[in-house]
Amino acid sequence: MKPVPLVLLLATVLLTSHIPPSVSRPQDLAMFNGHGYKSQLDEVFQKAGDAVSYLIGENILRYLQRNPRLQTGFPPQFPFEVTPLGSRGLGHLARSLPPFEQQRAPEEVNSLEDFVKLTKRNDDPPISIDLTFHLLRNMIEMARIESQKEQAELNRKYLDEVGK
Amino acid sequence: MEGTFREQLFFLVLCLSFLKGDTRYIEENDITPEGLFALLNSELKREIPETLIYRRPLRCLDMVAVEGQFTFTADRPQLSCASFFIAEPDQVISVEYDSVDIDCRGGDFIKVFDGWVMKGEKFPSSQDHALPLMERYVDYCDSGTVRRTVRSSQNVAMLFFRIHTAGSSFTLTVRKPINPFPCNIISQTPEGSFTMVIPQQHRNCSFSIIYPVEIKIAELSLGHLNDFPIKRSIPGCAGAGDFVELLGGNGMDPSKMFPVADLCYKFNGPAQMKIGCDNTVVRMVSSGRFVNRVAFQYRLLDRQELQRIKVNSVEDFCFTG
Repeated sequence: MKPVPLVLLLATVLLTSHIPPSVSRPQDLAMFNGHGYKSQLDEVFQKAGDAVSYLIGENILRYLQRNPRLQTGFPPQFPFEVTPLGSRGLGHLARSLPPFEQQRAPEEVNSLEDFVKLTKRNDDPPISIDLTFHLLRNMIEMARIESQKEQAELNRKYLDEVGK
Repeated sequence: MEGTFREQLFFLVLCLSFLKGDTRYIEENDITPEGLFALLNSELKREIPETLIYRRPLRCLDMVAVEGQFTFTADRPQLSCASFFIAEPDQVISVEYDSVDIDCRGGDFIKVFDGWVMKGEKFPSSQDHALPLMERYVDYCDSGTVRRTVRSSQNVAMLFFRIHTAGSSFTLTVRKPINPFPCNIISQTPEGSFTMVIPQQHRNCSFSIIYPVEIKIAELSLGHLNDFPIKRSIPGCAGAGDFVELLGGNGMDPSKMFPVADLCYKFNGPAQMKIGCDNTVVRMVSSGRFVNRVAFQYRLLDRQELQRIKVNSVEDFCFTG
């Protein structure tokens, strides 16, 4: 048989038969029969899901044990350490947030309930929040600081790993 | 001749063993936790070891810009909570429910909104978003068991939740997968630069900066400009299928903002504009026939400049109240 048509035939067969990568894992060969495939895969996923949630629970416990400071009753709004860089912004937010929370709470409930009912204009979103741009900007800045701190932590951990 | 026949035979045997699935013996045989994750998630993601996942409690009013796992535990009934998610311009937000313990029938809910909504105004506007408004809210109680992962269409997303009983909680994993052609973006910073590209798609894209800024458009490439000179008989760009407009306003929704300038003609050199509004948007409208690109920079306006704009401007659409 000529080599070119043979190669073309094999290429067509390879491209048209798609094997999902999960099948190439060490599993029972019996998975290849049609009706048994889906139920066995679901079973595998179920077991994997249990294992994964157990792993996550274990790690949360270990993480909390390693960081005892997280277990103390820190103020719910400020889990970050107050650094000189962020203390000004955080202090300002500290003064503005608690009254915001207390005053806004009853108003928020009313506005949310009002918004939950469908309004006459179809274009209005059913659920919304009433915030000023000023507060939004402060929140974004705090979130960016958190993100940069976390990235620095990750970089430090990766460099520690590489150094070993 | 014999050599090529042997090669063909080996190739055939290799292909047959591939089809049979025996190639699994070539891979490593132990199931690692990363392997488990890969089994569960069909999409490729960075494989981060368990110890390096960032975890923290979620607050009733929160802004999250980092990947990680967030748990909200209600110590008392919380009836109106919202959490904002924001990522880099070239990323989207992916929210996955890890464990949810709420009372759906008792009125609790967790909704993920595809975009940001503030004071009734949403970003992106209905004109710039592919989904109708109702589909942009994904309620866990309606579909949580089916849709465990919700992905946004742009770099911002929101979570609204209400919990009536103390002790209820839920845990989310937030990831930021890459978006190769970002369309609607909210900038995290008041200063920066961006190049927006719409590659032959019939869509409108907005870049929102929630600060009063000066915008400098460095480069504008709308397909038709390069082909033939445009002679506009109608002032403004209303008739053109491809143009860029600068909008200013005090809300989130670009369709409710005021057009400050629109560009659909060729210009040499950078074009600058100071917009003293709370929200400044660069919006590109694309017909789909061309590859359109606009590159711009922006910087925060200081108090003096803002005062000057206030005094000099004829229209005070940004300074109401």
